[in-house]
Amino acid sequence: MAEPENTPVELEQANASAPAQEPEEPRFLFTPPIDIYETADGLVLHADLPGVSIKTLELQVQDNKLTLFGRVNPVVPPQARPLHQEYAVGDFLRSFILSDEVDYERITATMTNGVLKVVLPKAAQTKLRRIEVNPEPSAG
Amino acid sequence: MPVFRWGHSWDAFHDFEREVDRLLSSVNFAFQGIRLGRQYPSVNLYELPEEYLLTAELPGTKAEDIEVTLANGLLQLKGRRTEPDGVPEERYRRQERFRGEWERRLSIPERVREEGLSAEFVDGILKVHLPKGEQSQPRRIRVSEGSESSIMPSADG
Repeated sequence: MAEPENTPVELEQANASAPAQEPEEPRFLFTPPIDIYETADGLVLHADLPGVSIKTLELQVQDNKLTLFGRVNPVVPPQARPLHQEYAVGDFLRSFILSDEVDYERITATMTNGVLKVVLPKAAQTKLRRIEVNPEPSAG
Repeated sequence: MPVFRWGHSWDAFHDFEREVDRLLSSVNFAFQGIRLGRQYPSVNLYELPEEYLLTAELPGTKAEDIEVTLANGLLQLKGRRTEPDGVPEERYRRQERFRGEWERRLSIPERVREEGLSAEFVDGILKVHLPKGEQSQPRRIRVSEGSESSIMPSADG
């Protein structure tokens, strides 16, 4: 695993930005597991968000922070009585600091079978620009 | 197969599990998988008036890669999760998600109509419907008075 210092996409404090849970209707908030890999054109991020659909996903970039929030609507009817529970149902939140390498304008995302895929393309290399140095015209 | 079972097996630790869940609910686990080193995938079982409902979180799995079979009261879930990209390991900066093959066997509650089993897979969540069969009527067992020899089998039968 890469050191966070070397990683253009960097983890934030997991729950620092978590909204306060409402006491009347407690909801779990989970940090989804992610994969990040490099491609020739940039980075690709996958996040496991079971139960999240395109409609319930919010993905936003503000300044240099990419935040994903997925709301999970219950899949079982309310009258269902839990007999055995190994996982809790809750929403997903995670945010990342993007490096300047990423071209924010061209970020794309898709959602398939509860997995979010975010493509973070590298910004085009700025061309080296030569600055002409002219001798100051001598006064006269 | 248990011959003699009071209630059904899922109820055995129901209250205890609920109590533990209640205690743990105040703790926010960053990664659920780490929680108790549980088997993949984690499953929940619910009871409804007409059926039992089993749910499992299987994000990134294709529906055709999931195999659900039921035989002799044992529900088997099997599948695999592959990364289609074929990205070499050294390209990964973070690798937190589960991958590979998995298998789970679960003994299901009694009186499930096995032929009525159905499953659906939406947004990475598998739902298996286990319809309840006929509730057997409580059967009265007549207790007859007998001599001691008829209760305790004797050596000569």
